[in-house]
Amino acid sequence: MTDPESAVERARQSAAARRAQGAYPEPVSTAQPEPESLVSADKLLQWALIEPDVRNVRSTRRLGAPITALKRVLLRLLSQYHDGLIAEQSRFNAHLLITVLRLQDRVEQLEQRLPREGGER
Amino acid sequence: MIVHQILSGAGLHDAITTEALMFRERFGAWGWGGGDFAARIGAGIDGEISPLTRLRAEREALLLLHHSAGAPGLTELLSLPNRKLLLYHNVTPAAWLWDHAPLVAVHCALGRAQLPELVRRVDLAAADSEFNAAELRARGARRTEVVPLLVNRDRLGPVPAGMQGGDPTRTPTVLFVGRLSPHKRQEEVIRTFSLYRRWRAPDARLLLVGDPLTVEYAEHLRLLADQLAPGAVSIESGLSDGELGDRYRAADVFLCLSQHEGFCIPVLEALHFGLPVIARPVGAIPEVAGDAALLVEDRDPAVLAELLHLAVTDLPLRAELRRRGRARLALFAPELVAARLRAAVEATASPRTRSSSTDRDVRDVVDQAS
Repeated sequence: MTDPESAVERARQSAAARRAQGAYPEPVSTAQPEPESLVSADKLLQWALIEPDVRNVRSTRRLGAPITALKRVLLRLLSQYHDGLIAEQSRFNAHLLITVLRLQDRVEQLEQRLPREGGER
Repeated sequence: MIVHQILSGAGLHDAITTEALMFRERFGAWGWGGGDFAARIGAGIDGEISPLTRLRAEREALLLLHHSAGAPGLTELLSLPNRKLLLYHNVTPAAWLWDHAPLVAVHCALGRAQLPELVRRVDLAAADSEFNAAELRARGARRTEVVPLLVNRDRLGPVPAGMQGGDPTRTPTVLFVGRLSPHKRQEEVIRTFSLYRRWRAPDARLLLVGDPLTVEYAEHLRLLADQLAPGAVSIESGLSDGELGDRYRAADVFLCLSQHEGFCIPVLEALHFGLPVIARPVGAIPEVAGDAALLVEDRDPAVLAELLHLAVTDLPLRAELRRRGRARLALFAPELVAARLRAAVEATASPRTRSSSTDRDVRDVVDQAS
């Protein structure tokens, strides 16, 4: 019997033994790393420009194809309104982001100057 | 006593909504009144939960705030003169969700940002696990109580008599139950399962049960499953309690590789059905599963695949885990949880709570209830 406390160690040994015999040729870890809690500037720029994918507009009901078609027709009919809305929001997002990035650069520059100025005193 | 429950969101298969409704049954049995309200209400639960805008809190009423996501109108709620009990269920870190469901991520980020204010302005801060309570203390709570989730396991139907699974003639079935969401790591479950199937059990099946974060994410998981283990993976959503019970009864092992859990009801449900549980020791899982689960930190999927094989085929190991699981479940018996809940509510209602002497008063009440 394998007691629960030694089960993981036994699995490790078994995996190593089987790998030595040619099993499990895949990379040792396929797990993805946890996402960063702070979003990068590149990612923010990507998100700032809003580009809804019309393929995501659909009905999730059974036999929902006619409803999907109706929704997409409605979107097409309202495209002038939505295009204007998206353009205005994207413009605001992009300018806000650029302003934040400029401020970030200025803060970094100021931080770099601080020790030198401190030393001159 | 009048207790109004307030949820940030309510949904048909949502664990916190289910718990709030079970609390309401208990409150009714104790002769307490009040209503249940949510800022956002999903389809299918109309009538049971009312929109938050309808809340008219009598001065003597106590507000029980279930916190699991950003709650609009929280400032107004906290400024009400009523006594308030916070029950913190944890909030999924938004970082997992930005790419897949931006609006849900916003609610989660807001929920975490609201925590310090909540902690500061309620009369008593409680959480459904010690892991969650520790987060409350890190956000400024001077003292906390733990009221574990109230889980009605009987709703899932009968548990099969005798030893479940481990039959060499039976197709091994691996199960995971949880929202189809990046932080639950169903991708890693599928990758691990594909190796297990390839090297240990060619006819094995994987059941993934849970409502999807988005239709697109569910589709992504289906594509991955079709690529790595074609025809061997079932992904199911919107199951009734009876159907969910059937999935547990059909399973041989429960594999949870989730990276964030404030409690994890499915682990308890798997123990209830006598399934061996393999899980990551993250969040509240170690305190919920205790020594009744195989907790594994290894990232090597070969180790996980071998552990699956062991958990399915080693009958004495299964029997020992089953025995430990029964002991573990006793700690989360509904009557014990209900007693802790009642003590926490009564302590919140007590005018002495929140003064410098309340720590001992609340502890006395809760200890007596336990």
